[in-house]
Amino acid sequence: MSNNWNYIIRRILYLIPVLLGVCFLVFILFNVTAGDPVLMLLGKHGSPEQAAALREQLGLNQSWFMQYVDVVKSAFTFDFGRSWSTKQEISSMIAHGAIPSLTLSLPAFFLSTVTSILFALLVAFYRGKGIDLFIRVTCIAMMSISSLVYILVFQYLLAYKWGLFEISGYEFGFPNFIYYVLLPIIIWVILSLGPDIRFYRTLILDEIYQDYVRTARAKGLTEKKILFKHVLRNAMIPIVTYTVVQLPFLLLGALLLESFFSIPGLGGMTINALNSSDFPVLKAITILSAIAYIVFTLIQDIIYTIVDPRVKLQ
Amino acid sequence: MLEQTAAENMEAKLNDEINTIGKSRSLWADAWHRLVQDKIAVSCLIIVGLYALVALLSGLGLIAADWSQEVGPSYAPPFENWDYILGTDLFGRSVLTKVIHGTQVAMSVGLVSSLIAIPIGVALGALAGYFGGWVDEVIVWFYTTVSSIPGIMLLMSIAFILGKGITTVYIALGLTSWVGLCRLIRGEVMKHKNREYVQAASAIGAGHPRKLIKHIIPNVTHIVIIFTSLQFQVAIKSEVILSYLGIGVSGQPSWGTMIDDAKLELAREVWWQLAGATVAMFVVVLAFNILGDALRDALDPKLKGKS
Amino acid sequence: MYKFGLSFVMAFMVLFTSCTKKQNFKEKVLQINVSAKVKGLDPVNAGDTYSSNEIARVYEGLLEYHYLKRPYELIPNLAEAMPTVSDDELTYTFKIKKGVMFHDNKCFPGGKGRELKAQDFVYSIKRMADLNNNSTGWWLLDGKIAGLNEWREKYNGKPANYDDKVEGLQALDDYTLQFKLTTKYPQFLYSLAMVYTFAVPREAVEMYGEEFLNNPVGTGAFMTGVYTQSNTIEYTKNPNYRDVRYPTEGSEADKKKGLLKYAGKKLPLVDKIKVNIITESSTSFLKFKNGEADFSAIPKDDFNEVVLPDKGITDAFAKRGISLEITPDLDITYIAFNHDDPLFKDNVKLRQAMNLAYNRVEANKLFYNNTAIQAQTIIPPGIGGYQEDYENPYHEYDLEKAKKLLAEAGYPEGKGLPTINYETTATTVSRQMSEFFSKSMKDIGINIKVNTNTWPQLTQKTKKRQAQMFGMAWLGDYPDGENFLQLLYGPNASPGPNGSNYNNAKFNSDFERMKNMQPGPKRAKLYAQLAQRVAEQAPLILGVHRTSYVLKHAWIKNYKFSTFNAGHAKYYDVDLEKKKEVFDSGILTKELETKTASN
Repeated sequence: MSNNWNYIIRRILYLIPVLLGVCFLVFILFNVTAGDPVLMLLGKHGSPEQAAALREQLGLNQSWFMQYVDVVKSAFTFDFGRSWSTKQEISSMIAHGAIPSLTLSLPAFFLSTVTSILFALLVAFYRGKGIDLFIRVTCIAMMSISSLVYILVFQYLLAYKWGLFEISGYEFGFPNFIYYVLLPIIIWVILSLGPDIRFYRTLILDEIYQDYVRTARAKGLTEKKILFKHVLRNAMIPIVTYTVVQLPFLLLGALLLESFFSIPGLGGMTINALNSSDFPVLKAITILSAIAYIVFTLIQDIIYTIVDPRVKLQ
Repeated sequence: MLEQTAAENMEAKLNDEINTIGKSRSLWADAWHRLVQDKIAVSCLIIVGLYALVALLSGLGLIAADWSQEVGPSYAPPFENWDYILGTDLFGRSVLTKVIHGTQVAMSVGLVSSLIAIPIGVALGALAGYFGGWVDEVIVWFYTTVSSIPGIMLLMSIAFILGKGITTVYIALGLTSWVGLCRLIRGEVMKHKNREYVQAASAIGAGHPRKLIKHIIPNVTHIVIIFTSLQFQVAIKSEVILSYLGIGVSGQPSWGTMIDDAKLELAREVWWQLAGATVAMFVVVLAFNILGDALRDALDPKLKGKS
Repeated sequence: MYKFGLSFVMAFMVLFTSCTKKQNFKEKVLQINVSAKVKGLDPVNAGDTYSSNEIARVYEGLLEYHYLKRPYELIPNLAEAMPTVSDDELTYTFKIKKGVMFHDNKCFPGGKGRELKAQDFVYSIKRMADLNNNSTGWWLLDGKIAGLNEWREKYNGKPANYDDKVEGLQALDDYTLQFKLTTKYPQFLYSLAMVYTFAVPREAVEMYGEEFLNNPVGTGAFMTGVYTQSNTIEYTKNPNYRDVRYPTEGSEADKKKGLLKYAGKKLPLVDKIKVNIITESSTSFLKFKNGEADFSAIPKDDFNEVVLPDKGITDAFAKRGISLEITPDLDITYIAFNHDDPLFKDNVKLRQAMNLAYNRVEANKLFYNNTAIQAQTIIPPGIGGYQEDYENPYHEYDLEKAKKLLAEAGYPEGKGLPTINYETTATTVSRQMSEFFSKSMKDIGINIKVNTNTWPQLTQKTKKRQAQMFGMAWLGDYPDGENFLQLLYGPNASPGPNGSNYNNAKFNSDFERMKNMQPGPKRAKLYAQLAQRVAEQAPLILGVHRTSYVLKHAWIKNYKFSTFNAGHAKYYDVDLEKKKEVFDSGILTKELETKTASN
């Protein structure tokens, strides 16, 4: 047990150099290589005098080292300052954007995971048979079409032409938001079916080829029972850990979907920031999503080591 | 040394299986044999070859060089005139010619981005796996850092900073896709460095570079091949997203810009640019997908039919 | 299980799609769609039209444009009357209206809005000058008001002292405001009708600090709570709004259109305004068709569905009670040469050749559905200096002449001419426009390489003079030819608004002489001559003056298009009976269904 704790503590400490590294990359990308944003911020009538003053205000005339320190500071305090384009507090922008993102991504993720697992069980049950082949081919085919095409065609057909869904937009508060997130959710589910079914199928088949399955079969258990009782239970371990590591990405929502359906979430915000060279917002989103990723992989790792006795800690 | 993620653990497991086969000259022959027996895989290989040929001819200016020519009225529908069998775009340019020219863009994006990612991934992965110790620590730290940033953010940032154009697309896609390869190579090299044949090489006085380049790297090339076939389809699909974000190819038609055009065209029921580009893309990406699976099966029969 | 998944999705669809949201027929709610993000509600940072429009619902300035009169005419708003101007045209004295109250807000003692004073304008204009606020409107007053630049410099890099007196900007008493200018500057009055100089209360700025932009407190006809950055903003009628009346003067045409029916009525006319921010134009248009928005522009690709070739409205739309307003906008589109580049600087014939090779008629058809007016000079119609009968000899489409001039320029058939870089933005339409330009040039043998940028990157390139050629549109800041001619004024070169860096000594001195003249027919004539002379030198490839096409529903009363429409919502009215009638008849949705069926 102490071994476990030792490992977990070391894992947590390891977050620090990784976070410093992320900050360094962000710093290189946005402070060093991105160029001087000041002139474009001042608009069509900007003067050199205003540019100098603005550079001063934004801290862009500090030494590289101090600018890096600022990036690190923001990563540890979560104080990212204000957006250049909307002039709003970035932390409050993110707090506002998280709600629409989550109302889209959480149900979408839940639905797509459940559906994919069901399909994966189905194909695992009929592995090698016609239906397995059919679904596998369909998966690959679905993966071979650009996600943009799905969004374009679905929005056009289902929302424009047949008027089944709201074309785009968003309203806060239940149940109003539902009208707006329905179609994006459906598209999300369809987009993730291909890769997810393939992935879960591999996980389940991995289990099916284990010794205990052979033993169970030898004991005369039915295939159905083996699949649902033993295989699924054991496959849940990798499935859960895989799911956990997906969670941080849900916060960011779906960049394209949010932007296409004008959902004012974090994804749409990121694309807006990109289009208006809003570096502070891009930096904040990059750093926060990296932190989320690091933390959730850590959690995943810990879960994995606790629930799966086969994994030995080093 | 700290292992990073459970996902990596799983990769390591896969590697184990890859390794247990044991590599030899005959493995390549076996793999090739298995591959050509798979009729579907062969068809895919032919399709990819055809696309490559079209891309090459277009690159040399032998076909579709006149894509900017006006051949008919604006937005002429398809199948009405032989000069523009797939219809025309806003400027009356042939959609078919644009699709063909787009093939060149798509294939080159796949190729060049692989050529950027492979040296980085292989070199870093091999160094980390071979030397271990602090070299490994640093490289693992580096790729953990890079992979902590969501791929799309990194892709957008790099593309944004480098400015627009096809070179940017190459570099951005290359620089964001080496991590997975690096991880696999690292694990693979770690397994190999203690193998007998490497030990034997040290016994006869081979230095590190020689052991690494002559003995170990040739034994991990199958990973590179699988990676490349996957990278092509990822790159082709990413080009579309970059075009939508306005950081894609400019000044020449690509499948991405054609699909992006459809954003406005669908409202006036102009679907043929979208359809043309999507079908062209679908066929080649599907071929690469199936080929990738087939290659994995051929090079690693134990995993056959699993993914 | 496959079936299960499918039926699940189907059930989902059925559950949520049959219900639509209810319209409100009890209150007069104006529903407005806005196509870009609003950047907070602080007047000094009103960088773009969209933000300005929102700010002007809450805040007001000394002057405004008359709602109905054209050409545009300034009238007093918070000022009692137009200012008295000294004989040397340097001192402007304003009387401020008495009894104007700020909105009730917790920044005031007891939460009751206090009376507006002349000092509020002194404060607000100093705020605009304060370098710490870095107002994008500073160019309006830069170097114009005695002592203001010195005040600005004094507090560069440190907190400004607003009690420090500025000689040219003083409140003589609570209701008298005096400006002293450094030089003659007749355009000065326009800046007092622009959002940047609108009155803000010091109490609010000091209480809310950086959050002031989300806590607007003005004197306007409408008020709103805390701005929450969501995609909707709701305004309610200001219950304490002073007695402002609907204009009684207007042209015959206005009268015919019924725009004078409300003459003398107390404003504002509606109870609420609901603003929806929707960036996709096609989406916004659909909301309009459903009656969820009162006005709409027409997206480029939906144009033929709405407008007949003779510029009338199609039956389908007329039946729904929708009407169309066509008004020329005050703008100019152009493709700029960078005159820093010797290739263009000294080669008039090359520039003229490229002008002749650019097919404006086709461009108008492809990108503006033939609605725009071909630009002959840089000055658009509707202001002094535009001459309707003038035709620029280099603006026709004439490939032969273009080729001839190109040869005379030293590049027969484009030989010897390097590939020219054209910078554009990444939107689908601008990409198409740049492809069109590149194709046009190719016809006379000129090779164009198109580089795509984000809007800020393009600005950066032009501001740093790195763009060789680029496309631009200029929307007038105020209705004066000076605002357009200055686009070619040498001292305004990048990073100023003259992005083409054109610098011609003769033009510069003529411009300097004319711009300080009082407006009138004499100046208009001189403007016209100057604009035509310079246009024939082809310093830019001028495109078009765009025309605004606005659709509105039958229940909207008193709508009149204006390029300077900030603050106009107070004039609009919603006819609730008509609205109910339209909705009850189901014509809006019925139309949609038949369309769906026919598809």
